[in-house]
Amino acid sequence: MPTRHEPAAPYEIPAHPSADDPRVTLEEQLGVFEPIPPYPPRTEREAEFYTLRDGEMFINMGPQHPSTHGVLRVVLKLNGEQVVDLDPVLGYLHRGVEKLCENADFHQAICYMDPLEYVSSLFCEWPAVIAFEKLLDVQVPRRAEYIRVLSTELNRVASHALFMGWMALDLGGLTPILYSFIERDEIVEMLAALTGQRMLFNYFRIGGVNGDLNHEFMSRLGDWMSRATEQIEANLTLLNENEIFVRRMRGLGVLDRETALRMAVSGPNLRASGVPFDVRRAHPYSVFPELEFDIPTRQEGDCLARYLLRMDEIRQSLRIIDQCLHEMPDGPVMARVPRLLRARPGRAFAAVEGPRGLYGVHAISDGTDQPFRMRIHDPSFVNLQLVPLLMPGNLVADTMAIMASLDPIMGGIDK
Amino acid sequence: MDRAFRRRLELRFGDLLSGPIRQRHDETEIRIAPADVPEVMRTLHDDPAFRFEFLADLCGIDTGRTMQVAYHLWSETTPDWLRVIADGLSRDEPRVPSVTFLWKGAEWMEREAYDMFGIVFEGNRDLRRIYMPPDYRSFPLRKDFFIADDAARSPGAGVRPMERTHVPANAAPGGVVRHSKVD
Repeated sequence: MPTRHEPAAPYEIPAHPSADDPRVTLEEQLGVFEPIPPYPPRTEREAEFYTLRDGEMFINMGPQHPSTHGVLRVVLKLNGEQVVDLDPVLGYLHRGVEKLCENADFHQAICYMDPLEYVSSLFCEWPAVIAFEKLLDVQVPRRAEYIRVLSTELNRVASHALFMGWMALDLGGLTPILYSFIERDEIVEMLAALTGQRMLFNYFRIGGVNGDLNHEFMSRLGDWMSRATEQIEANLTLLNENEIFVRRMRGLGVLDRETALRMAVSGPNLRASGVPFDVRRAHPYSVFPELEFDIPTRQEGDCLARYLLRMDEIRQSLRIIDQCLHEMPDGPVMARVPRLLRARPGRAFAAVEGPRGLYGVHAISDGTDQPFRMRIHDPSFVNLQLVPLLMPGNLVADTMAIMASLDPIMGGIDK
Repeated sequence: MDRAFRRRLELRFGDLLSGPIRQRHDETEIRIAPADVPEVMRTLHDDPAFRFEFLADLCGIDTGRTMQVAYHLWSETTPDWLRVIADGLSRDEPRVPSVTFLWKGAEWMEREAYDMFGIVFEGNRDLRRIYMPPDYRSFPLRKDFFIADDAARSPGAGVRPMERTHVPANAAPGGVVRHSKVD
């Protein structure tokens, strides 16, 4: 019979300690996101990064940090408040879309494209659709092409408007996002009237689009277009004339022309560094050769240039939308395409210019009704590589500004 | 299709090409041996007659018989996309020289191809997994990797339990895949 003063049995650490167990100390639980890998470094770069010099420390930013625009973890190596180096850790949102597409037929594969970039879904559908049309030798009716251009340019305005709000939010300004969401919501409601969905549109089809322009869409669009320019310009004065914002962004995260090309960057980030590369002009697709618009370019390559360039693009998009409405031809919106598609063996590559850069799809067919291989190229994935390049030497607070100015979307990065 | 571009490629890379030049729609495709990748890419990048400054895409491909790496390049000297395929990598030990000496931005795309296919890019100084966890053991986009719930291909869809459909019924006994006409 045990006596009253017998010592308690020694505590055994369970194999899987629970956070609810009061005997488990807080330190053990915090070790879940240990920045130093529990294995020897495998590459030159990893060995270099995970070696601390005097006075340096690691800090994890993310994976749930609000300014990482998704589920991104960045291991920061800090010296005081200065960023020495950083290592982005991806894969928290990886769904294996490329593998899923290999197990779907050509029609089904298109609906996997939408959730890649939930801010600009139509741009993800478009290259896939063009690549399949090339494989199948389908000719798209002109009216469908115009509708595609119209809807994607609307989507571009929505995406850039949201960027403006995010950018300010990451810098600590709360007001602009309220205005940018007004803009975005009007466009999203408009596209919902056209496509039937608010965000994941699934609107493009092989050989055309899912439905013709309808009355609700046209009335919403006409209403919006009559005041869009004024409204957007008014929103832009919130930041363009804000001295704190401008002085904070100018000269921050400078990317020069040669580095931008070497990093394979595309889209506004590249054009802000002085390279006038826009797929709509460099490798024209759809009806863009017939439309008039400029490619805004800036030479500075800093965060402010990247921001201002996107705002210039909104103005160009409004021009394109206006021309589409005036030149929209009559006719069918779908080519005659069979339900069961069998492409002959071959390869096709298609790229479009999205709000973040070049969206590409490389589709390979082996003669069945399914793509044999479906490669999705996402611009955010490539653009995020700039982060380890531009950050070192800046303060921690500037990491948010630089990352926001690159405008990455984690859904596309972790496809 | 840019016929003149095709002739220029033939003249410049005549004996380096390991297959015929193919042209379809707005694309031109050349095939080279993996060992020739640095030389061909450097010529395409630096030669004033080509000036392929922009790397649009880099991806790995598993045809079921061999591995390939496809590069898509853009230049203002031609209206076509140029697809360079490094052909004939062995499926057991795929190795190809890296192009990070020309485009540092290819680093993550090569990491992705390594993660998904196991292709080793010699010269990439950060070749580790990028999407899958570091202790993951297989390469998901290879054709001998089957997703467990492969209901679309399974003749007994909805009948067999999920674990047993791990290897689809149409898989060849050797482990590799459906019959492919892709070369």
